Amino acid sequence: MTMTAQANLPMKPPLLRRVLQAFVDIRELTLIVLIAAIIIVMSNINPYFLSFSNFRAVAVGMAPTAIIVIGMAILLASGGFDLSVGSVMALSSTVVAMLLLSGMAIPLAVACGLILGGIVGVVNGVLVTGLGINPLIATLGTMSIARGIALVLTEGFSVSSLPASFAWIGKADIGGFPVIVLFTILLVILFDLAVRHTPFFRQVYFIGANEKAAMLSGIHVTRVRIILYALTGVLAALAGVLLASRLMSGTPTAGNGIELQVLAAAVIGGASLRGGEGTILGAFLGVVFVALINNTMTMLAVSIYWQMIVIGGVLVTAVALDMLIRSKRG
Amino acid sequence: MTPAMEHGALRSQPLIQLEAAGKSFGTNIVLDGVDFELRPGEVHALCGENGAGKSTCLGLLYGLHQPSAGRILCDGNQQLIESPSHAQSLGIGCVFQELSLAGALSVAENIFAGRVPTRLGVVDWPELRRRAEALLAEFGLDIDVSMPVDGLPISSRQIVEIAKALSLNSRVLLLDEPTSALAPDEVDALFDVLKSLTNKGIGIVYVSHHMAEIFQISDRITVLRDGRRISTLPVSETSQEKVVAEMIGGAHPGDVTRSDQGGGNEVLNVKNLTHPGEFEDISFSIKAGEIVGIAGLMGARRSEIVRSIAGLMHGATGEIRLHGKPVSFASLRQAMRAGVGFVPEERKTEGLFLEQSLSDNLIAASLSEHTSVGFIRARTIKAASQAAIDAFSVKTSGITELVGDLSGGNQQKIMLAKWLKRAPALLIIEEPTKGVDVGAKFQIHTELLRRAAEGMAILVVSSDFPELVSLSSRILVVHDGRLMGDVAAAEATETTLLQLAAGNSVPSVDATQPNQSGVAT
Repeated sequence: MTMTAQANLPMKPPLLRRVLQAFVDIRELTLIVLIAAIIIVMSNINPYFLSFSNFRAVAVGMAPTAIIVIGMAILLASGGFDLSVGSVMALSSTVVAMLLLSGMAIPLAVACGLILGGIVGVVNGVLVTGLGINPLIATLGTMSIARGIALVLTEGFSVSSLPASFAWIGKADIGGFPVIVLFTILLVILFDLAVRHTPFFRQVYFIGANEKAAMLSGIHVTRVRIILYALTGVLAALAGVLLASRLMSGTPTAGNGIELQVLAAAVIGGASLRGGEGTILGAFLGVVFVALINNTMTMLAVSIYWQMIVIGGVLVTAVALDMLIRSKRG
Repeated sequence: MTPAMEHGALRSQPLIQLEAAGKSFGTNIVLDGVDFELRPGEVHALCGENGAGKSTCLGLLYGLHQPSAGRILCDGNQQLIESPSHAQSLGIGCVFQELSLAGALSVAENIFAGRVPTRLGVVDWPELRRRAEALLAEFGLDIDVSMPVDGLPISSRQIVEIAKALSLNSRVLLLDEPTSALAPDEVDALFDVLKSLTNKGIGIVYVSHHMAEIFQISDRITVLRDGRRISTLPVSETSQEKVVAEMIGGAHPGDVTRSDQGGGNEVLNVKNLTHPGEFEDISFSIKAGEIVGIAGLMGARRSEIVRSIAGLMHGATGEIRLHGKPVSFASLRQAMRAGVGFVPEERKTEGLFLEQSLSDNLIAASLSEHTSVGFIRARTIKAASQAAIDAFSVKTSGITELVGDLSGGNQQKIMLAKWLKRAPALLIIEEPTKGVDVGAKFQIHTELLRRAAEGMAILVVSSDFPELVSLSSRILVVHDGRLMGDVAAAEATETTLLQLAAGNSVPSVDATQPNQSGVAT
């Protein structure tokens, strides 16, 4: 009897196959392998690639994108979407800079910037949930409005001559590691753990997978959605503040087009516009992957225009491969 | 009956009550002055035809809708139930007919959706597993609770859904067709669980079409018809015949007389149609002028079979002959050219363009007929639309009204009219009267019978067994992708069909029973 029972069990595939399957199935592993491959190949082509100063420059450059992708990945998992992040970044950077110029204390000015981002997020959330406007259209509107406000406030000019002490956040080092990078990594780890293990963020996947079922399960879908848009707004504003501190100026044109980079990175990292899936770690690795490809192309002296074409190609390839694997599995 | 005695003292105070509850959506009154009460420890069945108001009653009790008249009482106190989460906090759990699980998440997380156990603010995974396993063990379901729900068969998903409602420690449990996807032994397991729940004093509202089940599990039965309460009686004081008679009512327009069908040439012949993993060895035929029904439970693959015939699903092997010629349609378009019409189940998502006008919807499947030298001709469309409105007595303000603004029954008529307009030799229709009122049902049935009498061959997929019995000449019963029987309608009863649909190959008890429609007429 036991023999027949065992014979009926599905055969375990060989170890190598299972390991390979895991690398295909788990997006984080796939990306880590790809990132390692880029590093190995590039370090042989250009010795400067592997240098600390290059990695430092790449890390500092991608910090704002990495902070915003946290919010975007959670929103995507809930079936939401936010195009206004780049404009919110610009708005908060200019408003914080103007408040500092008017003599406001740094913590207070930063707090105001973050609250402003949160307010734009709540507006997005209410437009999407309360009025039932498609998130693409709603946030396309607020994207234009927030950018417009930043431009009106500054008449299109950058706000500079900020107090020197403001530079600390964006430029300081701890043991050679930029504070801005350490801070970004800390946020990524915190949010990744929170999304995996806290009840509030677990609800997000229910809403993304089946909104009606989530509602019938007693989840406050509207409330959760608004909170997620607010969180994304705050994170985008935070990215704006860090950028202002690093550049020592508030720029109304900052973050132009960053929403598409963030979306691309999140989707490469395993998020889906259908909702219900994706992790913060995956989205972060997506940002790292895109940043390294850009860095690689810069080092190989590929024109910036070509870089756009390559990144677009990477995005479409990633999604197409994903669809292929899914349809094969049925 | 010790448990019942124990709760005898509590029986004076119902757990939840509807008092003269009414509900209307726009001008459409779906519930009118209904009284209903649920006592501790009882199973109270709600019976009625589609559209009688059962789902609306459940919706009121679960906070999906608020009554537009009358009131709801919880433990004797007036209570406004604002939302499902509010209902849950009042100890009311609900299992819906349509599955409401998040497929990508684990079984355990689905059961405790929105209410996962935590330690220090983070999800307590071991505790979550333990609780989920304990709940499922009550059903004798031994599955890995960390696997995604997508990986489970439908019947197990239904059990997960019920476990989810029980996980709330509800005092009131609302069940809407909980057995529609269950096999007979699973139904028995469910009933054991329900009995142990009522012994604990939990009250259960049980909505089902299956009369035998209702009489097996219920203590009291309330019959609704057209949004009104007809009766509330203890099981011992009523009978299946009486309940059915009350559900249907005296002057029931749903009884259509079936003229003698068939005798024409063979229109469709299907031989050994097989789709690995979906269905196997399906063979049957239809003659001109014949209506053939396809019955089965959820997940029986009825839809997959007819969609394979209509060219909407690919990969099936076997032989399909239309008018004697072998065919294999790569698309619905090809099937349409060969004279096949297909009316899908989901009128809102598959069948209609809700944002378009009535006339645009009507001509969507026959555009070329209304085109001359590349342009659409408005005049012929107007005439054709008016003809369809008259044939079905569609209630509408005119041919330019948006289909989305029509009532469900009128939408269904438009969807059917769109295909009848093409006058296909073979019409395949899924759930022709799903969620429509009695009047619309009668008109749809009449029109289908009239078309059959004119020589159209019609293949009807329906979950409404009485509908199949009154409409078709023969009924094919499918279970798990296999043809269980080809029953002549004159010999079919709801029980026979159910037995076959549940996978019992021999309808043991019913061979000698007189048929229902025969008694009724």
